[in-house]
Amino acid sequence: MYTFSYLILRTFQISGTKTMSDTASILSFMELALKQAKLALDRLEVPVGCVIVEKGMVIASGSNRTSETRNATRHAEMEAIDILMEQWQMEGLNFEQVAQRFSTCDLYVTCEPCIMCAAALSIIGIREVYYGCANDKFGGCGSILPLHEGASLGFSSTSSKARAFKCTGGILSAEAVALLRSFYEQGNPNAPKPHRQVRASQFQLGIGSSVDH
Amino acid sequence: MPWQIVHVPDKPPSSPELSTVDVLASVIEPKLANTLVRKLNQICPLENLRHVKRVQKRSVEGKVELSVILCRQNEHESLCAGMPNDVLQLASTYQLSPYKTKVAKYAALSKEEWKEQSKLWPTSYHPSTIPYEVTGFAEEESQLIVKYMKFAMRLMTTPNGKVVNAAVIVDPLGGKIIASGNDQTLFRLPTNETISNCINGSEQSATTFSFQHGGDSLGNIPEDSKSKLLPCDFSRVSCMYPWRWTEPRSDNGKEKCDGNFSWHPLRHATLVSIENAAARDRQLFPCLEYQNNLPLRNGVCDCSENNPIKRQKIQLSENAGVISEDASPENLPSEVLRPYLCTGFDIYILWEPCVMCAMALVHQRIRRIFYAFPNPIAGALGSVYNLQGEKSLNHHYSVFRIQIPEE
Ligand SMILES: [Zn+2]
Ligand SMILES: [Zn+2]
Repeated sequence: MYTFSYLILRTFQISGTKTMSDTASILSFMELALKQAKLALDRLEVPVGCVIVEKGMVIASGSNRTSETRNATRHAEMEAIDILMEQWQMEGLNFEQVAQRFSTCDLYVTCEPCIMCAAALSIIGIREVYYGCANDKFGGCGSILPLHEGASLGFSSTSSKARAFKCTGGILSAEAVALLRSFYEQGNPNAPKPHRQVRASQFQLGIGSSVDH
Repeated sequence: MPWQIVHVPDKPPSSPELSTVDVLASVIEPKLANTLVRKLNQICPLENLRHVKRVQKRSVEGKVELSVILCRQNEHESLCAGMPNDVLQLASTYQLSPYKTKVAKYAALSKEEWKEQSKLWPTSYHPSTIPYEVTGFAEEESQLIVKYMKFAMRLMTTPNGKVVNAAVIVDPLGGKIIASGNDQTLFRLPTNETISNCINGSEQSATTFSFQHGGDSLGNIPEDSKSKLLPCDFSRVSCMYPWRWTEPRSDNGKEKCDGNFSWHPLRHATLVSIENAAARDRQLFPCLEYQNNLPLRNGVCDCSENNPIKRQKIQLSENAGVISEDASPENLPSEVLRPYLCTGFDIYILWEPCVMCAMALVHQRIRRIFYAFPNPIAGALGSVYNLQGEKSLNHHYSVFRIQIPEE
């Protein structure tokens, strides 16, 4: 399993230009994303949460609502994106202005975006993504498909350009995994304890895999 | 030519270098070609390589050069060791100098593969013999599949004649349309809301869209819809051009809206139809409060789930939901059977979905996907990616392409 310290180390080796204050703000935004994940857990949803940050300010947050909506695409990222789309259209922003705003936004999410969300983030043209634990079953930022690299989408030959975005994983991943584990171990408080021990052992392997996210 | 339903395989055809076989060939005098080919076909027919042509014609320095395959060559044998005596004799009679070369081991499954393997040595390509064109649908089911796709085709043209992607989610057992949707990435279609409200508004109106086997409730599709379709402008098909919304346009999307979206870069037809299916689910089965929202095994949920004994048997599943180890549909009254997400449902989409939409359909547990037009730019079900062959995913659907006949 990835350890917390190992991943922070790895993270900041990748982006060596980060200053200490950058590091602190990245961690504090991820804390806010974890808070969103806890809200999902309280609602008996798979605990994944995110915040969208523009110019150092959180402008939207979201958490998983797949169970409540009976719509398995309502991942935290989609929830947060919809908040912004609604708000910006109310304000009368046009296509160009919306695209411009997204291109200055960063996403902090507790679990690696799935293939669907990674493609969505590329479509809206997000600037940068920071995530917690890896998503070994569905991950779209390198675990299964590297959609954050953009070019591999195969759009390069057309007028539309695939948007790449910078992606950094492993930030507070232990906390993100702990939340997921507590969901799968305790789950619905109205339901009896699960008898499947496989969940915990999968997380020990660092798979974090049963996240349908 | 009739409508054809083609299975889209989980794996792309293997690359030619992985599936070749060695043969011995020799350059021959063009005037000897007929004689030699006739003799070789007699003494050494190319068993199991019927797709490989015996003769290769190349132009070398402006002159036509013919080569002929003498026989197969076993991997570890020296050049002439594996040659049958008859072939050896023929080679010495005509003073041939055998060389080793590679040919495709299997017949091509696609035009692209055929082009690739023909670079090695010419092969023949018979689209009609492609094995996966035989999809095994009974005539009755094929007709229904075509009807549903025609229904989707009705949703792809906007009132002002623009073409967008459209999707229809169908319950194949009940013969019922569950939900539909079309692209709303650039504008919201006025017709769409009418359609989705009509379908999702109530169980009664949903059943008016029911299809009886042999019935013809879709018979009123204008015959010219296809001829309008083929030469049209696909640039508004969201799955094909996911970034088009960022491009400058005259209609600037500046219309204000009240608490919802008039357009949204992620509202591809597939996502809209999933959302409509979920809305229908919530509407038809409102009795499921969150705590009772327990998707059961076999893809059905007991709406009247209050039985404490049953509740005790409920086990935590891997998907945020909860399954019962021993609940079976026959124990449940049929009117309270609720599908878990889109388990057991099919979706009909005009254009092959992009990777976002294809993954959304994995999440929503769709059973089968039928699409009409491949999406060479961004298609995730055969064209650019093969998401249906991605082993790590927790759900796998089957993918079919419906080939609409060209006049
Ligand atoms: Zn996701
Ligand atoms: Zn799409």
